Amino acid sequence: MKLAVLYSTMVLQMKKSFVRPMFRFCLLANPILNTILLYEMFRTAGEESFLAYVVLGAGLMGLWSCICFSSAGDINRERYSGTLALIFATPASFPLIILGKIIGNTLLSLLSLLISLVTAVLLFRVPLSIGSPLLFLAALAGTVTCFVVISSVIACLLTLSRKTELYMNCLEIPIILLCGFVFPVSILPPAVQALSRALSPTYAIELLRMSLYGVTDLRLFWEKFGIMLAITALYAILSGLLYRRIDRRVRIAATLEVA
Amino acid sequence: MEQVIEVQALRREYVRQTRLFRSGKKVVKAVDGISFSVARGEIFGLLGQNGAGKTTTIKMLTTLLAPSSGECRVLGYRSFGEEKKIRPRINFIFGGEMGVYRRLSARDNLHYFSNLYLLSRAEQAKRIDAILKLVDLADRADDLAETYSKGMIQRLQIARGLINNPEILFMDEPTVGLDPLGARMLRDIIRRLREEGRTVLLTTHYLAEAEELCDRMVIINRGKLVAGGTPAQIKGDCATLEDAYVRLIEEDKP
Ligand SMILES: Nc1ncnc2c1ncn2[C@@H]1O[C@H](COP(=O)(O)OP(=O)(O)O)[C@@H](O)[C@H]1O
Ligand SMILES: [Mg+2]
Repeated sequence: MKLAVLYSTMVLQMKKSFVRPMFRFCLLANPILNTILLYEMFRTAGEESFLAYVVLGAGLMGLWSCICFSSAGDINRERYSGTLALIFATPASFPLIILGKIIGNTLLSLLSLLISLVTAVLLFRVPLSIGSPLLFLAALAGTVTCFVVISSVIACLLTLSRKTELYMNCLEIPIILLCGFVFPVSILPPAVQALSRALSPTYAIELLRMSLYGVTDLRLFWEKFGIMLAITALYAILSGLLYRRIDRRVRIAATLEVA
Repeated sequence: MEQVIEVQALRREYVRQTRLFRSGKKVVKAVDGISFSVARGEIFGLLGQNGAGKTTTIKMLTTLLAPSSGECRVLGYRSFGEEKKIRPRINFIFGGEMGVYRRLSARDNLHYFSNLYLLSRAEQAKRIDAILKLVDLADRADDLAETYSKGMIQRLQIARGLINNPEILFMDEPTVGLDPLGARMLRDIIRRLREEGRTVLLTTHYLAEAEELCDRMVIINRGKLVAGGTPAQIKGDCATLEDAYVRLIEEDKP
């Protein structure tokens, strides 16, 4: 029955997100446009691995935008449509419902990676070669986990405060830059790099890139993987702690509804 | 008689931002020390002007809002702290067009909520069809809710409120915006719930409706109780419940 809650929320969320024009833009148009933009930039810069920077960069930017505008904004949409209070007061666990929403959105958002890939292959005949396919899949799974956990922290903050959406919109671009979605983090100033190193997507992206090129140093790969999981686990613990308090906090602060 | 709702000296305050910038804060006493109780099987009315504190009271009873102080028990459990015991056994309907997933059909809405109420597959199949028929949505059940009229959306709300067979149903202005047939259907449903031994707590601005339906009621004004009892008791020597209501509110002017 818990699975039914998770699964039906996932499906509901995918349906709801997909009919929203803004989401469709982020999901479908954004990766195409970003792929073209990045391709032109990298072509003149002489970078050879279009897959690692153009496709991955554009795809991940699309994925992240979807998360910023959807996973997060969805709590507010539910609040304004009056359904947040309804789902909150059901016997189903609220964190589980939120998790279902986030997983649904994230899975749907993965489409942006695929769209970016198809754009690059069709438009620019970017060769499709993955150095270490299995490790790439592992890195992808890690990336999804890491984004799901980050979204759940954000969603929790949003349930507690209506202002979070504003902060979310301000966070979109900085994360793209800090985590090295479209360039290696190593070109950032050292002080900023320290910040990047505390964010789990940084590692996720490095892992994806490593596996695209082909992993030569397996130890390094799994080491980074371990760090990514450790940071993600830390976020998960944080979000677990937040959710423990959420049930009481929102009822004291009266933030379930707009009124 | 088993008391399924017990409210004692209940208070709730809101802190409201009064200025856009700087910290202008004002405390609003939405519910200011009310007490009442409801027995199992009763239809109980909560009447009062806009802003009297009716919705706030219902939110505290339905585990959506924490009381600032006082006692608020539903089915013997504290609504803040023991909400897990309460939630599967109650449901609530807020009037108006909010609170349904407009991009889903009526059937999908009900399916989703029956999952959240942890009903088994077999129960779901049985209940959803019966409820759709009860609120007269069966032939439009598979159309998206965004294509529904106001009244149909409200009937969908009612259906959602019945999905878990609640022992207590809370209704906040359930007939607002319903056409005469829709309003009558709702009154019939409410009476039927009473026949099944369920408890209903409702708010309404239609005093005739309240008089017709309610076994007992309280009138609240500016967060405080100003009267309580059976409709006949509240009416007293006034000709209609409306006359009595107007007098009580006038007398309570600050
Ligand atoms: N979330 C909120 N924040 C601040 N004030 C609120 C909030 N909800 C209700 N109020 C105020 O509390 C009072 C009672 O409101 P409410 O319970 O909705 O009354 P009713 O349902 O009887 O019309 C009103 O003055 C209203 O403005
Ligand atoms: Mg109200």
